[in-house]
Amino acid sequence: MNAARKTEPVIIDVKPQSEIVVAVRGLTKIFKDFWGRPKAKAVDNVDFEVRRGEVFGLLGPNGSGKSTTVKMLLGLLYPTKGHIEVFGHSPRHVATKSRIGYLPEESYLYRYLDSEETLDFFGNLFALPAQERKQRTEQLLDMVGLTQARRRQVGEFSKGMQRRIGLAQALINDPSLVILDEPTSGLDPIGCREVKDLILALARRGKTVILSSHLLADVEDVCDRVVIYYGGKVQAMGTLKELLATPDAIRITTPILPRETLQKVLETIRRDVVEDKIRIDTPTQNLESYFLGVVAKAKQSEAETSGALSGSRVAAYLRGDAEGSQSPANRILERLTLPAAAASPSTPAMVARPEPAVDHRKLEELTQPNEAAAALTVATPPPEPADLEKANEKLSALLGKPK
Amino acid sequence: MEKLRPIFRFVGRVLLAFGLFERVAVLLLGQRIAAVAGLTLKAAFRFRLVLVLAVTLLGGVVILPLIIKDDGTARGFTQILLTYTLTMITALLGCATLWLGCGTLARDVEECQIQMLAVKPVARWQIWLGKWLGILCLNALLLALSSGAVFLLLQWRAQRLPPAQQTILRNEVLVARGSAKEPVPDYEADVEHLMKAQLKENPALAADLPALQKIIRERVKASQQIVPPGYRRQWQIDLGLAKNYLRNQPLYIRAKFNVAQPSPSGTYPGRWVVGGFESPWAHRPEPLSLAADTFHQFAVPPNLFDESGQLTISFINLSDTALLFSLEEGMEVLYREGGFGLNFFRGVAIIFCWLALLAAMGLASASFLSFPVAAFLSLGILVVGFSSGTLSQIVTEGGIMGVNHETGYTENPTLLDQVAVPVARKILNVVNLVRGFSPIDSLSTGRSITWGLLARAFAQICLLMSGLFAAAGISIFTRRELATAQGNQ
Repeated sequence: MNAARKTEPVIIDVKPQSEIVVAVRGLTKIFKDFWGRPKAKAVDNVDFEVRRGEVFGLLGPNGSGKSTTVKMLLGLLYPTKGHIEVFGHSPRHVATKSRIGYLPEESYLYRYLDSEETLDFFGNLFALPAQERKQRTEQLLDMVGLTQARRRQVGEFSKGMQRRIGLAQALINDPSLVILDEPTSGLDPIGCREVKDLILALARRGKTVILSSHLLADVEDVCDRVVIYYGGKVQAMGTLKELLATPDAIRITTPILPRETLQKVLETIRRDVVEDKIRIDTPTQNLESYFLGVVAKAKQSEAETSGALSGSRVAAYLRGDAEGSQSPANRILERLTLPAAAASPSTPAMVARPEPAVDHRKLEELTQPNEAAAALTVATPPPEPADLEKANEKLSALLGKPK
Repeated sequence: MEKLRPIFRFVGRVLLAFGLFERVAVLLLGQRIAAVAGLTLKAAFRFRLVLVLAVTLLGGVVILPLIIKDDGTARGFTQILLTYTLTMITALLGCATLWLGCGTLARDVEECQIQMLAVKPVARWQIWLGKWLGILCLNALLLALSSGAVFLLLQWRAQRLPPAQQTILRNEVLVARGSAKEPVPDYEADVEHLMKAQLKENPALAADLPALQKIIRERVKASQQIVPPGYRRQWQIDLGLAKNYLRNQPLYIRAKFNVAQPSPSGTYPGRWVVGGFESPWAHRPEPLSLAADTFHQFAVPPNLFDESGQLTISFINLSDTALLFSLEEGMEVLYREGGFGLNFFRGVAIIFCWLALLAAMGLASASFLSFPVAAFLSLGILVVGFSSGTLSQIVTEGGIMGVNHETGYTENPTLLDQVAVPVARKILNVVNLVRGFSPIDSLSTGRSITWGLLARAFAQICLLMSGLFAAAGISIFTRRELATAQGNQ
């Protein structure tokens, strides 16, 4: 019985909200040997849909079938069985590819081209006019921090720099669907953060992002919905909130409290919860936040380098600011959508997030046994992205839909 | 700084030319194909293939004249120089093209760069065509460079010759000459007639009709080719429409004969009469003693042909050996048709058509094979192409094994022979579509390569044969998967 439960995927239905960008039905891929005999079943009867504006994660260990799925979505591999539709067409439909941006798992760029030539070449494949190619190349190089390495051949690049230029080429066409295969592999923590911020920014502009990764932190940070692969099969699928939430527990984070106050809070809680279910500890920031803070400080005395710099803000055309000059409304939108560090560059990014000031009134309420439950609800800080989304929605209503 | 200004100006012009080239390419081919073609070209520059090839080709053009041996005449030296240098250029560029054709696609697939192209809105046929055109651009560049060097070298050397030598050179080698021959007579009726007579005399010969037919055909043919001692052979050559512009122009007779028994001196005297044999205006030079088995060429005065453009040539054999003038190449009249420059361009253009075919062949192989296997397959096809002599021998002898050396054909064909002959015939037909042109030979003998011939070469080699390879290659490339489950292929 247990074994049967293990193989059954946990699928949580999501209500249809917007147009379906990618639809996969019964997708199976069997690799065969020279004589046509089945060698390996890389993907086994997979179904999922990705909707417009979603950041959809393909999560799984190495060799679980993520990259094979991605390559089938792009028409590089053909399904043995099943059906794929991307924007309502076969993945081999040439015109549809003008709406897709792809970053492969490794750098498959031409080593003898420099950064600028690389972007110009791929721009040409999208039949972009020369002037637009030039503008976008400038903005993308700036965005991925390779402006100073524009004349260096890609073959001379470090792995991180190759990821950056790879990411830039994936965005040259301002794609509606971005498929990123292990986008943070080889990147330093700053680069990882920038890529994740970029993914969030793209999603906020209505782009659909499919992210394939085995790095749980990447997926957790940016994905709305994930599908978890193992052995070529979907083991679980749903929103992160639905998959990760522990509905029978809550967590309260406050500044250091006086001993008496803490005692009062604990006494109140003990009235309803047994002792061994309560846990008190000092929260720590994660290593990524700490590292980013240290580097941000160091950046204040930044030396000239021919290598990659920390990326600048998202390219104007990707923000929907193709002309480069922003309207006041767009500036507000950008400030809201960009991470806090970008909004105030002088402040060290992500270091020691400002702890909320102690709200004594709420604490008092918490200590009151009758109103404890209500107070807990109030005290739980709502997630930041929700705020941003609401702001975005309001502004979108005011300014018209973002691209 | 002032001294460097012309260099900067030149570099600027070259860059401008490339910019214009890019624009023209985009207009003609479309942005995507032009981008792929440009990338292929750029790769050849960045990997220093262009530099290495250019240096090798130019080095060859400069060094070859220093090491080749010739007959001591300016004409002979120029002919050998043209043949050697153009053959070297064709061979070097052919190998490089085949290698590049296989490499540019196969390596893109093996190193996964093709995945970056295939996920963009560019059709697979555009990728294939772009790569082909890129290789063609490279070939055009290198061919222009090397053949331009050959042309300039020839002109430079010609200018340094004494005026008399210059005249000979410009009349016989550095020229585009048309040719007229006597039509090969249809002797099949004679063969049939003689066969019937033979069978009537000896009905037992009917047991081996093909052998009898072959022997009689050879006999009839020989009777039309052999000039016994003291006999005269006369050729009537129709100059056709060329008669209209050949008034007051010298003509050239090109003749070759073979002998069954060589004389001690190695030469055979004969008298030539050009024009009506009885005519008082005919050209009657002093008897010439000529060597056998080699081409002889000599000028004759103008206006010896009649109103209808018929030129009569007579030869009286003054030796004591029978001489054989073959029907195909025994006698030919050459006349000036045009200048050397354009002729040279057309000859080089036919070489370019061959290179286009090699590029298509390499790309077609690489469309479904890895680089080393594709290169091996392409070379294999090339070897078959160069084995046309063996193929035609199989067709002529009617089999592969068991050839009777007396009759020269297979008497009891096996199943293998029965299969091999039609296969060889078909392959030969295809190979002849490509090999039926000899631009280097024509240029070195000062023969005209007409625009019509160039158009036929383009149609047969570039459109038909390259088109077939392209259709096969694109079809396979469009259908194949361009990735594997993990990483590099």
